[in-house]
Amino acid sequence: MASYDAKKIGDIHRHLHAHKPSDPALRIKALEDLAVERGLVARETIDTWVEMYAERIGPKRGAQVIARAWVDPAFHDRLFEDAGQAVKEFGYEGHATEHLKAVANTATTHNLVVCTLCSCYPFAVLGMSPLWYRSAAYRARAVKDPRGVLDEFGVRLPEGVGVRVWDSTAELRYLVVPQRPEGTEGWSEAALAAIVTRDSMIGTQRDLTLEAA
Amino acid sequence: MDGPHDLGGKDGFGPIDVTAPPFREEWEARQWALSKNVPIPGGTIDWWRHGIENMDPETYMSVPYFVKWNLNEIAHRVDRGMFTLEEALSGRAAQPAPPANPASMDTLLERLRTNNTSFARPLETPPGFAVGDTVITQASAVPGHTRLPAYARGATGRIAAWHGGHLFADAGAEGRHVVEHLYTVEFAARTLWGAEADAQDTVCLDLWEPYLAPA
Repeated sequence: MASYDAKKIGDIHRHLHAHKPSDPALRIKALEDLAVERGLVARETIDTWVEMYAERIGPKRGAQVIARAWVDPAFHDRLFEDAGQAVKEFGYEGHATEHLKAVANTATTHNLVVCTLCSCYPFAVLGMSPLWYRSAAYRARAVKDPRGVLDEFGVRLPEGVGVRVWDSTAELRYLVVPQRPEGTEGWSEAALAAIVTRDSMIGTQRDLTLEAA
Repeated sequence: MDGPHDLGGKDGFGPIDVTAPPFREEWEARQWALSKNVPIPGGTIDWWRHGIENMDPETYMSVPYFVKWNLNEIAHRVDRGMFTLEEALSGRAAQPAPPANPASMDTLLERLRTNNTSFARPLETPPGFAVGDTVITQASAVPGHTRLPAYARGATGRIAAWHGGHLFADAGAEGRHVVEHLYTVEFAARTLWGAEADAQDTVCLDLWEPYLAPA
């Protein structure tokens, strides 16, 4: 069983460090080959999982949730009451969504999500996180210099807008609900979902455009 | 522990590559798939995280994200005796086993859906704080796993939400199931970072009761 011995796992990491791979692809392949030889997983399962994340699991799921919240007031209320339950209406629950919390951008508040200690993210609703979300630069700076970070993403906040940064330190995960853009009155749910971007649901984009994401 | 992972508020990292995609290389996606399809029996999420935290700092700061995952997946399997170091480095099993059956896309979609895990647990003791209370976080570092980042130590904030009992991360990293009240605590940015921060800005963290005292 797991040792729960920090010194032991640290020692193993130091041994691994001595064999630090020159080529990451070979290191990952070695673990895959070993897992396949040991009958722990089939190579085809790895292929299919990669295909699933490329084609089925991604921010289009979150965008559908946002669009429904814009057009359906009862769903909007359920989403803000318990987003982890609300996404089950789409069958989009999964990895890291049970304690999902929706946070709304308003005329006076802009929300920005980060995980400073690791890289927590609502994978089943937004797919794999963008590399920058997992980068040291974003994790270090989002809490201390959120306006500088937003500026690098091209976001200029109007006067009177405060930033609320959510550092995902426990098992809650955050989904930013961007403001519905003007000029979309009467649009279908599907048309609205098409303009909701991944970055707007993390908070590194504020204003949505009427162009498809 | 004050490991290299505790990055919040650290300086010197420079600009963010805002165009970076989720995966740049095929091997990154394959490591993600391996991590999610070759389970480590037993163990807790916070023991897994604590493994990465105990990686030597030079490696932590220098290798790509999914290499860190790879090293940690190996370390945990070696720790619990699933693999030897030699097997993981060579990619050859000392004793091969019959091959696993491939899983279909539908099976994997369902596996992902049912991977949804609740960390909430019933707790008889009433919460020590109510929404609106002012609290101060623990000032000292702890040697083991904690989800109180260094930048938020000894800081005064306001209870913004109460989430009931949740499994306590610090104990989970030691293989113990302990339930504590969990809160969202909101801190004024100026409390954490001084006068350079915008007076309108705040930072919210999800913190368990043992991290908090009345202010």
